Amino acid sequence: MPTINITLYGDIAAHGGGRHIASLDLELPEGARIEDLFQTIGLNPEDRGYLFINAVLHDMPGLYASREVPLKEGDHVGIFSIRHMWPYQYRDGIRLSDDLKEAMKEHGEMRNTYRDQT
Amino acid sequence: MARKILRINMADLSHAYEKVPEKWAKWAGRGLTSAIVADEVEPTCHPLGPNNKLVIAPGWVSGTPAAPSSGRTSFGGKSPLTGTIKEANSGGLSSQKIAKLGLAAIILEGTPKNGAWYTLVITKDGVEFESADDVLGKGMYEVDEILWKKYPNKPAVIGIGQVGEEKLSNAGISVNDPENKPGRYAGRGGLGAVMGARGVKAIVVDDTDGPGVEIADMELFKTGRKKLTDAITSHDLTKPNGGLNSFGTNVLMNIINEAGGLPTRNFSAGQFEGASKISGEMVAEMVEKREAGMTGHGCHPGCIIKCSNIYPDADGEELVSCVEYETAWAMGANCGIDDLDYVAMMTRECNDLGLDTIEAGNTVAIAMEGGLIEFGDKEGALGLYDEIRQMTPLGRILGQGVEATAKAFGVHRIPTVKGQSMPAYEPRAIKGIGVTYATSTMGADHTAGYTIAPEIAGVGGKVDPLSNEGKAELSLTFQAATAFVDSTGYCLFIAFPILDIPDGWAGMAESVAGVMGMDITGDDVIPMGKEILKIERNFNIRAGFTSQDDRPPEFMRYEKLPPHDEVWTVKDEVLDEVYAWVNGK
Repeated sequence: MPTINITLYGDIAAHGGGRHIASLDLELPEGARIEDLFQTIGLNPEDRGYLFINAVLHDMPGLYASREVPLKEGDHVGIFSIRHMWPYQYRDGIRLSDDLKEAMKEHGEMRNTYRDQT
Repeated sequence: MARKILRINMADLSHAYEKVPEKWAKWAGRGLTSAIVADEVEPTCHPLGPNNKLVIAPGWVSGTPAAPSSGRTSFGGKSPLTGTIKEANSGGLSSQKIAKLGLAAIILEGTPKNGAWYTLVITKDGVEFESADDVLGKGMYEVDEILWKKYPNKPAVIGIGQVGEEKLSNAGISVNDPENKPGRYAGRGGLGAVMGARGVKAIVVDDTDGPGVEIADMELFKTGRKKLTDAITSHDLTKPNGGLNSFGTNVLMNIINEAGGLPTRNFSAGQFEGASKISGEMVAEMVEKREAGMTGHGCHPGCIIKCSNIYPDADGEELVSCVEYETAWAMGANCGIDDLDYVAMMTRECNDLGLDTIEAGNTVAIAMEGGLIEFGDKEGALGLYDEIRQMTPLGRILGQGVEATAKAFGVHRIPTVKGQSMPAYEPRAIKGIGVTYATSTMGADHTAGYTIAPEIAGVGGKVDPLSNEGKAELSLTFQAATAFVDSTGYCLFIAFPILDIPDGWAGMAESVAGVMGMDITGDDVIPMGKEILKIERNFNIRAGFTSQDDRPPEFMRYEKLPPHDEVWTVKDEVLDEVYAWVNGK
């Protein structure tokens, strides 16, 4: 069973026993995906913002491109609350997953969030 | 009543009000400071000599009734740090008070005789030239206290610390916040030294009984104000209890670190193992744990985003306001320091001495790389500010910023462009910001290229931001849009809701149009922004800058940045495209 490290930032840190930040190691079933990780820690995907796996951005607030990404031994997953901000100009050119690129092309590439703000 | 220019001559201690000439009439904020500097300052002058000027200008909407988050003041001149034209802007009390006195700009020129120092007191009745004997040589915390006791009505205090008095190139200009603390800075580029070269220690601005700001079309202004306010208060990032309100700009620390883009130990890596300990989340935890200080603090009256904070020490006393992302990064990750209390103490030193925190933290990192102290030596780092305070020879070198310190210690990993050191986004990992750092008219500047409604600005759909193509056009568009917003008086953070809420964009344009009587739509933003950039670019060309100065530091082309082992790969031809349109090239 692979062990991964996850860090939760913001109010979702409560799912890891923290106040604003929680870091924990989790053992997951072989073949577990991001969706399974969320179920394990009880995190609603709609409460989630940016999601990183090993310093690659896999998700944006309001999208769920990471749902079926498989996790393996030693992976680090960083998950932020939906309130965290990251303006486009400060992420222009960073490593993105292919699934996220496709999702952003479909919904608009330069938004700060894909949640309905109106 | 039409806005006026207040010209203050320090050589003969005179002042005069002038009508705003037609050529400057449409500008405010950055547009106006750059237009005036370009017209009146010889680009080849020595920045500390008698021919440089300091120009201070509020934005179009500053001082208007309840325009949300509209308290930015622009300061302009020729930069002692970079030698380019410079605009640095600040929150605090000054913008609204200057605007309410009916002033479009203050121009400070000339040099006092016999090395005298002055505190200028500006009221509706004019300018008094007071001796600065009671504040000279003092840090800005004490200066603010003295001047609020001396002058009634809680005025704005614009001032320089000892570093500006000594005219060192990393001197910033302080503006007091609503609690009269020197926490707001027009930090970058050394304009504090320019103010020092004019013999001015402080400027007190009292707007009591001032004429106020004339609004050309009140209904249009109110319509725009409501739309913008609604956008700000509904967006996840800017609304009450939203990201900025909860964790401040330092909400970025953990995100940039997770992305591998956090410059660490003088730009030698992209992740810092102690990032979470100096993050905005940790500031919030300290405030809660110590039951003192606050998050959600406003840096100027009328701010509805309130991203600032007041950081408490272990005894529950206010230590500093505020710990911003750039500051926590420069003092922390880039120096290998993960102790938030020490980051806060060093920030307070900068606020008191009058130093730009980004340049100061980066300078300490250079000194660490040069072997003066070890990376991570928090006591040693704090002690270096004593050297500056005492103006020892080492302190004077440190007060000149990164490049001077690198030369003194034989360091080649120098993260600067046009003499100004890079802020908290590593360009090898975040390549778009690298294009802006390289080409900005201001030197390496993270605020020069904000993403503002690209669809409306005409870029969306034409450029694929997910590829390496089109980076030049994107950067230019962002720089132009930012130059426009820098002229409004609005905090640049309105860009966040505007990007996602079209009504917010429309509201911003309508509020400006309502105040100034200009017919502005989304189609005008980029052309007007480009006008400002062209003014600035041409000043720099006349000052001797060429396209060879639009380059990132050499080491970034060959030193691989962990965790992804990246180098700078954007071609020089792409960088040259950004400003190729100036002068028809």
